[in-house]
Amino acid sequence: MTFRLTCPVCGKRDVYEFTFGGQERGPRPEQQGLSAEEHFRWTQFRLIPNEPQEEWWYHGQGCGVWFKTTRDPGTNREVE
Amino acid sequence: MSWLRPRRLWHPAPLKRHYEVVIIGGGIHGLATAYYLARTHGIRDVAVLESHYIGFGGSGRNTAIVRANQRTAENVRLYDEGLKLWAVLTDELDFNLMFFNCGTLNLAHSEAAMNGCRMLASTHNLLGVKSEVLDPQQCAEVIPGLDVSDRLAFPIHGGLFHPPGGIVRHDAVVWGLAKGASAHGVHIHQGCDVQGIDTRDGRVTGVRTSQGAIGCKRLGIMAGGYGSAVAAMLGIELPIHPLTIQAMVTHPLKPFLHHVFSSGAYHVYANQTLKGEIATGAHMDPQVNYTTDATAYYLKHQAEALAELMPALRGVRFMRIWSGLADMTPDMAPIMEGELGYEGLYLDAGWGYFGFKSGPVAGKYMAEYMSTGERPDILRAFQLKRFLENRYSGETASVMKYGHWD
Repeated sequence: MTFRLTCPVCGKRDVYEFTFGGQERGPRPEQQGLSAEEHFRWTQFRLIPNEPQEEWWYHGQGCGVWFKTTRDPGTNREVE
Repeated sequence: MSWLRPRRLWHPAPLKRHYEVVIIGGGIHGLATAYYLARTHGIRDVAVLESHYIGFGGSGRNTAIVRANQRTAENVRLYDEGLKLWAVLTDELDFNLMFFNCGTLNLAHSEAAMNGCRMLASTHNLLGVKSEVLDPQQCAEVIPGLDVSDRLAFPIHGGLFHPPGGIVRHDAVVWGLAKGASAHGVHIHQGCDVQGIDTRDGRVTGVRTSQGAIGCKRLGIMAGGYGSAVAAMLGIELPIHPLTIQAMVTHPLKPFLHHVFSSGAYHVYANQTLKGEIATGAHMDPQVNYTTDATAYYLKHQAEALAELMPALRGVRFMRIWSGLADMTPDMAPIMEGELGYEGLYLDAGWGYFGFKSGPVAGKYMAEYMSTGERPDILRAFQLKRFLENRYSGETASVMKYGHWD
């Protein structure tokens, strides 16, 4: 089953109009003094529990806006 | 007339409150590890915990293709040994796994991809694995229905033919391994959902499940695509994206497709099952998720790709579509690790597209690792810390670009 995401500009649209931008993980760490290990941990490592997470999406086949939404990886659906 | 009576392949066992080894995940990797722990290493006090039914996840959802045509020596060696295990296991488990070594053909749609094929064939031949580069005409001889004309949007420039590859009946592998593990004393518990992992003083002590707490000395996370969710219970971050990959079958046709073929550019792989259906797939949803959702969007895409590559398939109907999880790592190679910050904790994950073909061989070496505590040499290339040291496996330097995670 496909599902819909809520674009802040266009409203509820089919998920295939969007590009997944990954988890919201706060600001990127300061490069100054960052060790290689910390850098790779930031760029590659993720905690993905089976519970709702805040994430980024791009409405590439629509209005072109980047936005954040909360979605449950266990159901694929957005949660309020 | 005792042979007329139905016989169970394996028997349910009472759930004990403590085991020497607990394995999370009743798929091919978990069952194979349990089987080898009991059979080869004499550790019979083993429980396999499966949240649904055995083979519910990727083990029963893949397209059953097996091959050893990886890019790097470390991977080729592992998959080659895995490929040779199917015949051995058929014998050992006394169960027909329906291994059909029909060979696989990877199509190339550009000169760059042809160079990729030449590089792969050289690597394979150097390691004693059969592979050869075919020109378009030879591709058409191997797979007669293929359109090798220049009518295609991406014409076929040739391909890599890998004769030892083929297909194995995936359910049979799950059942056969369950049979073998159970015969050696392993307890298999279905409907036993792991909800938490207990540790004390840096050691794993057990798991909390939907059927109560179960203690253990050693714990294996072998939950396929759900591995990252299980690891998250301990706060362990992994370089893994769990993504659904969709597959589908047509109605049965008379035998005409005698080999597996795949195309990176068209994003399709296909084989004809022994029942006659064309089993095909490859499309992956972009967002991380733990569902089994399938979509009409990819059904349409797959139909377009297949009908273009193989015009005779136009008008053939799809009967079923399903999806399973692929746990993608940035370098398309797995993670088999026993150094995760907790003594007694082992992880076998990140197999991406390749979890089925590697199941038995991964189980064999994870069992060795878990029983001795010493990392087998063949697993040295698959440590978690390679991602922190910028020492990626070279798998992605292959025929195709896979996706956004690599």
